[in-house]
Amino acid sequence: MNKKFLIPSLLAAGFGATSTEAAPPSKFVIADNTKTSLFALFRQQHTYTLAAHRSHSSHGSHSSHRSSSGGGYSAPRAAPSPLYTAPSNRNSTSTPPSSVLPSPPAAAARTLPGNSGAFQRIAMQVQTALLSYGYYSGAIDGVIGAGSKSALSRFQADYGLSVTGTITPEVLDAFGIVAN
Amino acid sequence: MIPLQLKIDPLPIVEPLVVRLVLNPSIKSPSDAILVARGDGTADFDVGGFSLRVHTNDPASLDGDVVLVIPGRRTLHRLIRASSPHNTLLITEQCDQLCVMCSQPPKQYHTDMFDQFLDAVRLAPVDATIGLSGGEPLLHKKRLFEFLVKAQNHRPDLRFHILTNGQHLLAEDEAHLRYLDMTSILWGIPIYAAEGEIHDRIVGKVGAFSILQENLARLGRTGAAIELRTVVMQSNIDHLERLGEYITLNQPFAQVWAIMQLENIGYARMNWTKEFSDTSLSFEGVSQAINISLGKGLATALYNFPLCSVPEAYRRYCVASISDWKQKFLATCENCSLKSKCTGFFEWYPEERGFKKIIAQ
Repeated sequence: MNKKFLIPSLLAAGFGATSTEAAPPSKFVIADNTKTSLFALFRQQHTYTLAAHRSHSSHGSHSSHRSSSGGGYSAPRAAPSPLYTAPSNRNSTSTPPSSVLPSPPAAAARTLPGNSGAFQRIAMQVQTALLSYGYYSGAIDGVIGAGSKSALSRFQADYGLSVTGTITPEVLDAFGIVAN
Repeated sequence: MIPLQLKIDPLPIVEPLVVRLVLNPSIKSPSDAILVARGDGTADFDVGGFSLRVHTNDPASLDGDVVLVIPGRRTLHRLIRASSPHNTLLITEQCDQLCVMCSQPPKQYHTDMFDQFLDAVRLAPVDATIGLSGGEPLLHKKRLFEFLVKAQNHRPDLRFHILTNGQHLLAEDEAHLRYLDMTSILWGIPIYAAEGEIHDRIVGKVGAFSILQENLARLGRTGAAIELRTVVMQSNIDHLERLGEYITLNQPFAQVWAIMQLENIGYARMNWTKEFSDTSLSFEGVSQAINISLGKGLATALYNFPLCSVPEAYRRYCVASISDWKQKFLATCENCSLKSKCTGFFEWYPEERGFKKIIAQ
């Protein structure tokens, strides 16, 4: 799985010389000045066709339902309510007050199940790159916390990228991080 | 038309991702993707430090939406739209019936998305009603029952509206059904005629009517609230009165009878000329049916009937049933005083082949 995320440029960008793949961020300043979008030139194909993923093909089907007749059905979702009033005799003691729902952790879905590994690997690469460029001094832990967000924001501002404090496709491009 | 899918930039995920898009977090949930930046026609939501970049000019309209992203796809699916009462999860596209007016013609393959759906409903707005549809959801009843038990456990405030053909319940399923909170589930089940052969012909399955009868009783025994649904077509318009008698006499567990106009999509588009019954010109078949069912005390509703197509005395039974995202109005409707109460028309409604008598009120 790790091999899916090659970052040939990262070491180059961080530690020295071979810069061909690196698309070093410095060029982007130039790109901004010249108006021709060098940015587009350096844009990489983040195809993200990643590891074994069983439901990949699934969504031919899913998409069709949404785009065509969609939720499918003329099913009047709103209609039944005035006609059918469910008695609420069940479970009244254990039902949390509705104002609390649905945000508490208990009701929250799993956090990025299965995706955390991939996210973490790329995040570590980004952190390493930010460290190399002097924007980041925290741990290379793959967790995008306050320190990483602030580093990302400053980097994005300096290099004329849209400032989000998140890992955007442009940030990956700028560091030459390839995920295919 | 409200878009149910939006273009996104690639996100490095390896499994389907379900998150809730949030503009201003009040309580931080790990499943919330918070808006961090707006660009030219895009909005960036923070998913674990990564930008989920959605192509939209109106990020506010996505606030609270529960969305699904599939690895390798550049599309985001709005599974549950927070601003809408019309949210339906498509459980499967497989079906064992082949109804002449099917709006969602069956496909051979099935992909199990119950895990994602469970994640999604856990993030749904408070007190939401979620539709579960297909295809035929009960073809995957084991997973469906598991899903319902877990969903009701996590979110007892939610209500489900399950559209099923009622063909796939066995005696052994009664135990599963009893395990569910049946008071928050409405079972929407089609019935097209009281005569078995007519019903069977419409649904394309021999013996369907007799199985349906058994299963309506089975559901009734387990305390299910049942919404019987009848699409009006040329095939059954002359049999609706008899159907009204049958339902009120033989289906004591029906809570409501929904008489529905045709939706011009799927097989109904193909069979439109053969099956569309212009009730704006002749409402008698429907009114006779309503008279019977109401007279015998069964709540009855008209779905997908534009108000002006219905005689005034029966308009009170019309429901604005067409889902927001596929609802439209015609030029004629512009100055109609009833527009705000009217169900309108399906996005794909063919005006030239539709109701002859559509008049602003």
